[in-house]
Amino acid sequence: MQTQINRKGGKVKSEIPIISKELCLRLLADLERAKRPVLHATKCSLDNAIYNHKVGYLTPGSKKVATELNVSSVKKMSRAIFMLEILLRNIETGAVNTKRELYYISKGEIKGTPMLKPLDFADQPESDDTIDFICELIECYREDVNCYANDRGGQTYSQQLIVTETLPDGTTATIDLSKLGTSPFQPKNRPQNLRLSASKKIDFALIVESEGTANTLVANGFTKRHNCILIGSQGVPSNAVRGWSKLIQDQLKTPMYFFGDLDAYTLQNIYRTLKAGSAASLIRNQDYSAPDVRFLGVLPEDIKKYDLFDYPVRESDAQEGRALKKADDALKNDPFFQDKKNKGLADILKWLLKNKRRCEQQSYFSVNPKDPTMPEKIIVEKIKRGDYV
Amino acid sequence: MKKRETIDWDRAHGTHVEFVFDGRVQVNGEAGLLNYLLGTSLVNPHLTLHYKLPDQENVTIERVSQEVPAIPDATEPHPHTMKLGEFIAHSHLYGRVKVSAWLKKGFSRLGDAVFDEMSKNKDFGLNKAFFERNVDQLSNAEFEKLFSAIQKTELKPPSTSSVLSIGEDSLSKSIQRLGKVDFFSVVSRKPAICDFKPVQVEVAIARLEQRTQDSDSPVQLLRFANRVPLQFDKSACAIASAITTVNWRSYGLGQPKESLPQGPYIFAVSVVSPFIKFKNASKETIDASDELVEEIRRALMQAGQKLSRYINAENKAADLEEKRRYIEQFGPILVEGLARITNAKEETKKRAREGLLKILGRDANETEKELSVANEKLKVQRAKEGDAEMDEA
Repeated sequence: MQTQINRKGGKVKSEIPIISKELCLRLLADLERAKRPVLHATKCSLDNAIYNHKVGYLTPGSKKVATELNVSSVKKMSRAIFMLEILLRNIETGAVNTKRELYYISKGEIKGTPMLKPLDFADQPESDDTIDFICELIECYREDVNCYANDRGGQTYSQQLIVTETLPDGTTATIDLSKLGTSPFQPKNRPQNLRLSASKKIDFALIVESEGTANTLVANGFTKRHNCILIGSQGVPSNAVRGWSKLIQDQLKTPMYFFGDLDAYTLQNIYRTLKAGSAASLIRNQDYSAPDVRFLGVLPEDIKKYDLFDYPVRESDAQEGRALKKADDALKNDPFFQDKKNKGLADILKWLLKNKRRCEQQSYFSVNPKDPTMPEKIIVEKIKRGDYV
Repeated sequence: MKKRETIDWDRAHGTHVEFVFDGRVQVNGEAGLLNYLLGTSLVNPHLTLHYKLPDQENVTIERVSQEVPAIPDATEPHPHTMKLGEFIAHSHLYGRVKVSAWLKKGFSRLGDAVFDEMSKNKDFGLNKAFFERNVDQLSNAEFEKLFSAIQKTELKPPSTSSVLSIGEDSLSKSIQRLGKVDFFSVVSRKPAICDFKPVQVEVAIARLEQRTQDSDSPVQLLRFANRVPLQFDKSACAIASAITTVNWRSYGLGQPKESLPQGPYIFAVSVVSPFIKFKNASKETIDASDELVEEIRRALMQAGQKLSRYINAENKAADLEEKRRYIEQFGPILVEGLARITNAKEETKKRAREGLLKILGRDANETEKELSVANEKLKVQRAKEGDAEMDEA
């Protein structure tokens, strides 16, 4: 069975119950005829990822994962239908939950109905997988079934940005970021309900990998001196950060830059996810990637130019060794790094593999230790000179 | 030594030794006394063992074989066990005799048929007349030529009478003295030559009914060199090396990388040879030479193949049971769930339930067929081993 998609930005919530019911009706009809039902879900992995620089993000290929109903899969399917019922109830009542909450809700349901005992989830990853399976089946975002992740990262500072949020009851709330003092604005991971405007022309948006460094830049007056938006991504960008960046790109059309460490992990896991989405979320990259974001640094040439402190990658360190191996794999298999338009980024990966060195974003603070605004000066100078990839 | 005395022994076998010693006795564990007794009873099926440990009842382990192993007769050396120097020196013991006579008398597994084969092979450069010459007239180059030809010629392996093997039948009975076993697999390899020495490897693997250890604990390994249990320095031993290099996962056992397999199994490996090369003077560990490790590996793999038939049949049976349970448990849940979402009528639910049972029933039938195939293979193996009657009983 295969549902039809796909309209821009996933599915409208009102469509989910209809599609779900169609899916269940088809399953029942197959069962009535003693025909083995087969469910097809989009294969969300790198070998099914297509990258076209004109599109700007990773899109799913034609590969589907087929789940045929048999004795081995009957548990998985039963769990999916059980969880789907909970999610549909949430959509109907407007209730929202995190994955962890859904785990406990399902445990509560099972506790009250002894017949459902065989469905019990041993731990949260099992229920998470069931939720992901449902989303892949009906090709919708997790948020479409009222399941929201924690809004991690994305703290945003600006003296010019004004956000208008449409609330569930239809009313609106306006947030002028210049009035928040030292508090940042925290975007939701469903930022499509937000409208953005600017009190004054915004020259650029800067996404900083380290939340701490973003705070330091703001505390030292970065947003006062420049008409900009400054966002802390807090490591690998969450859905909130990805959706928020996409919103800024689409609604404000402002140039966007990413500033993070010079290492394979940052380039592949953080920057690539922000710019083109991830292979695991192929069906949602459209709304959760900002293809216009440029890589401001740290660039390999910056090390010499600013005499930055860099240090060798310890291949004995499991995480760093894995990142290097992944970098090698990315050059061979990742369509994003294989695209001609991203040759500059692929060259950085090659440089990292060849030199086996890394340099952190905070090393800009070593350029002139007495001047706390030195990193800001370098960042602005790089933007002005077009010194980015 | 307080007193030394020599006596004439008028019986075929039997020794009574009595002594008292003072010290700490380690009873349990790999290097414990019990393990030693257990191992000794395993590799000596003819042995009846009575023992009493402090604060415990008397224990008797009855013999399972009435045959007392005969001490092997001395045999002539197998030519493949010799190096060139030894080969030439060996000829000096025979004085002026013909080459053929020397080879026949001085070695095992050499005869006219082998000489014919060697003289026909042009690469060896040995004609029939060569074998009629006197051995004391051969030059070193000719010895070398003859030695090389013998090494390149395939000969029968050393005679089984040259080593004191336990035998598959006795081992099968003996392994059941270790405790109640679910199933077992025994292999007695034919004697082979490893590092110029005749060696015989025997393996017994049994799964115990009583699971005293976790399923992810390593198997209990019993090692023997000439029927003597080896209890120390396991990791450096040829037997342990051989076990860890076999892929036990393909035989249905769990095994972490480069480690002993896991589960409630006893692995007993016996190496018998007139010349076992130990790693140390205390004879705790057999030296892990490539040839010996390979020979032990082969024995283990043979035993693993036999064992896998039991495990396979058992897995299939468990698989079938699980499938039947799944059909019973999840069938109604799935249909009820679908019916609730679609507001299906009772009639639809009934038909869907019946359809689902048919679909899942087909899967179970497939497994049932696989199980009967696995059982059939097992039956054939048991019949071969002569265990069929015992199982029926």
